[in-house]
Amino acid sequence: MGFFEIRNLRKSFDTVSVINDFSMELVELTLCCLVGPNGAGKTTTIDLITGRQKPTSGTIMFIEEDITGFDEHQIARRGIGRKFQVPAVFRDMTVRQNLEVAFTRTTNPLKNIFRFREPGFAGKLDEILTLTGLGPRLNVEAGILSHGETQWLEIGMVLMQNPRLLLLDEPVAGMTESEIEKTVGILNDLKKTNTLMVVEHDMSFVRRIADVVVVMHMGSLLAKGTIKDIEADRRVREVYLGEEA
Amino acid sequence: MNLFHNVRAQWLAYAVFFIVLALVPLFVGDDVFLLNQLSMYGVYAMLALGISLCWGFGGILNLGQGIPFGLGAYGMAMTMQMQTQDEYNPMPPFMLNNSLTELPWFWVPFGNTTVGIILSIAIPALFCAIFGWTMFRARVSGPFFAIMTLAMLSAIGTLFLGMQPYTNGANGLSPPRSLQLGELTVDPYSPGSYWVVFGLLLIATVIAKLMTLSRSGLVARSIRNDAERVRFLGYNVAAYETMIYTVSGIFAAVAGACMVVLSQYVSPDQFDPTFSLMMVVWAGIGGRMSLLAAMLGAFLIQGGQSYLGDELDATWYLFLGTFFILVVRFLPKGLVGLVESGLGRIRIGSKRNDGDSAASEVSLNPQPGA
Repeated sequence: MGFFEIRNLRKSFDTVSVINDFSMELVELTLCCLVGPNGAGKTTTIDLITGRQKPTSGTIMFIEEDITGFDEHQIARRGIGRKFQVPAVFRDMTVRQNLEVAFTRTTNPLKNIFRFREPGFAGKLDEILTLTGLGPRLNVEAGILSHGETQWLEIGMVLMQNPRLLLLDEPVAGMTESEIEKTVGILNDLKKTNTLMVVEHDMSFVRRIADVVVVMHMGSLLAKGTIKDIEADRRVREVYLGEEA
Repeated sequence: MNLFHNVRAQWLAYAVFFIVLALVPLFVGDDVFLLNQLSMYGVYAMLALGISLCWGFGGILNLGQGIPFGLGAYGMAMTMQMQTQDEYNPMPPFMLNNSLTELPWFWVPFGNTTVGIILSIAIPALFCAIFGWTMFRARVSGPFFAIMTLAMLSAIGTLFLGMQPYTNGANGLSPPRSLQLGELTVDPYSPGSYWVVFGLLLIATVIAKLMTLSRSGLVARSIRNDAERVRFLGYNVAAYETMIYTVSGIFAAVAGACMVVLSQYVSPDQFDPTFSLMMVVWAGIGGRMSLLAAMLGAFLIQGGQSYLGDELDATWYLFLGTFFILVVRFLPKGLVGLVESGLGRIRIGSKRNDGDSAASEVSLNPQPGA
C-alpha cells in the first residue's frame, strides 16, 4: 500500500455532486500539482483530505491508515499540514508566536497548562526562518506583513508541524514575480524532505515545480502525468489550457 | 516595549494588589460587619477573574457564570445545613414542613463535611465540563454560546425555585450555624475568613495568570484569532474551550462556596441572570483582557452599588448602563485601556528597546514568556 491514496471519493451537497469518483495517489518525496478550471473541485478535495468536510463515500488512506471522516486535528496530528487559499495566520500575534503555536508537539490542553517552552523550538525556528527569510520580521504582528510574507509565514507554520504531507492551496496567489521566484526555490527545497500537493492555476508556476500533474474536471480525474504529457493531452487542452490561451 | 505588557511588571502589580488587600483587615479595626462586606468583595473578584479568563482570554462570552456560582453556593449551604442536623433530627426543618419523610438521596453525601465541600466544587466543574464539551464539540460559539448559557442559567434557576421540598424554593437555605471545620468554627466576621477568601483568590489568580502565559494560553489566543486555523495545526479546539470554560466555572464555584460561608444564606437569586450579567459588566468596565483589571472592575462597580446604589435606587442601574455603553464604545479594552495607552507613551530607557523599537511600536500585544 502506498504513502497516500484516495479511492473513489465522492462528495455531494443534497443532489449536487461536487466530487465524482475521484481517485489518485501520491508517491513519497514528490510534488504533485492539482490543476483544473474553476469549480473542478480542487479545494473541496483538499477539504475532504484534511477533514474540513466529510466525504459522502470513498476512502482516503495515509501511511497504511484509513483517515476518512477523521476530525481536522486528528488528521493534522497524523502529519498532514495545510496552507489555505486565503492565507490564514493569527493576525494579532507576532510572527514568532504564530510559529510557536504551529510547533505542535504537545496538543493536550491540560498538559499545556504546565508547559511554557517547547523543547526543540529554537532549532526548528532557525530552520524555518532560513527557509522563509522571515527572520527580520520575527517580532512584528502578522497582521501587518505584506501579502507575500503572509503566504510564507503560513507555509512556515505548516512546516513547523513537521508534516509528512503538505497541502498547499494556491501558494503564489497574489505574489509578485520576484516573490514567486522565491517560493519556487522554497518548494523545490522542500521536495527533498517532504511530499507536497499544490493546488495551482498558474501553469508557468506548475511547470517549474511539478513532478506530477493531476488534472481535475467536474469533480473527476481527467488526466495524470508529467507536465509534458499533460500539455500534450488534447482533452486537457480543451477543458483547461484552451480556456487560458 | 510597553511596560503594561512586561510580564515581570505584571507580576509586580499583582503582588502589590494582594499585599494591599492582605493589609486591609489591620485598618478596618472593630467594624466586623464592614470586614465581612469586604470579604465578600473577594467573592466578586473571584467571579470577575473567571469571566476575564473565559471571555477576555478564551474569547468565550459566558452569560451563565451564575450556574457554577449558584451550584457551588448550594453545595456549601447544604453542607452547612447538614452540620446542624443529627441522628435525632436528620432532616432540615423546611423538608418536614414540605412533608418529606426522609432525607432525599442527593442530600445524603453532604452529611459529611469533607465530601460536601468537594462536591460543592466537583458538581459545578462536572456540569461545566459536560455542558461545555457538548456545546463546543458541536462548534457552538460566540453569541450562540452566550445565549445557551443564559438559557441554561434560567432553566437551573427555575429548577431550584420549583423544587420547594428539596431546596426550600424561593426562601433558599439559611444554615443556622457557621461552617465547622473539625473543631474549628469559621467566623465569617473575622479577619481569618477575610484572609482565607483572598488567599483563595490569590491561588486562583496565580493559576489563571500561569494559564495565560503557558502554551495553553498561547493556543487560546490563537483560537480567539482564528479557531479554524488552530484545528488544522492539530489542536482539539473544543477541548481547549471546554478546559477554559471549566476552570472559569471552578473559580465561580469556589466563589459561591465562599459566599455562603460568609453570608450563611443562599437562594435562587444566585441564578438571577441580572447577577451573571453584572459579572460581565465588571470585567467589561475594568478590562476583560486583564485579570487584575477585571477584579478591580468588580470592586469599582460593587463599591459603587453599595454606596451609590442605596441613594440612587433604580437610577443606579440607569447610570451603570450608560457608563457601560460609554466604556464599550470608547474604551473597548475597559478602563485599564487608559493605563495601557498611558504607559505606552512612556519610553523605557532599556537597552533592548533600541534594537527593535520599530517592531515594538507595531506590536500591540504582549509576548508570553518574553
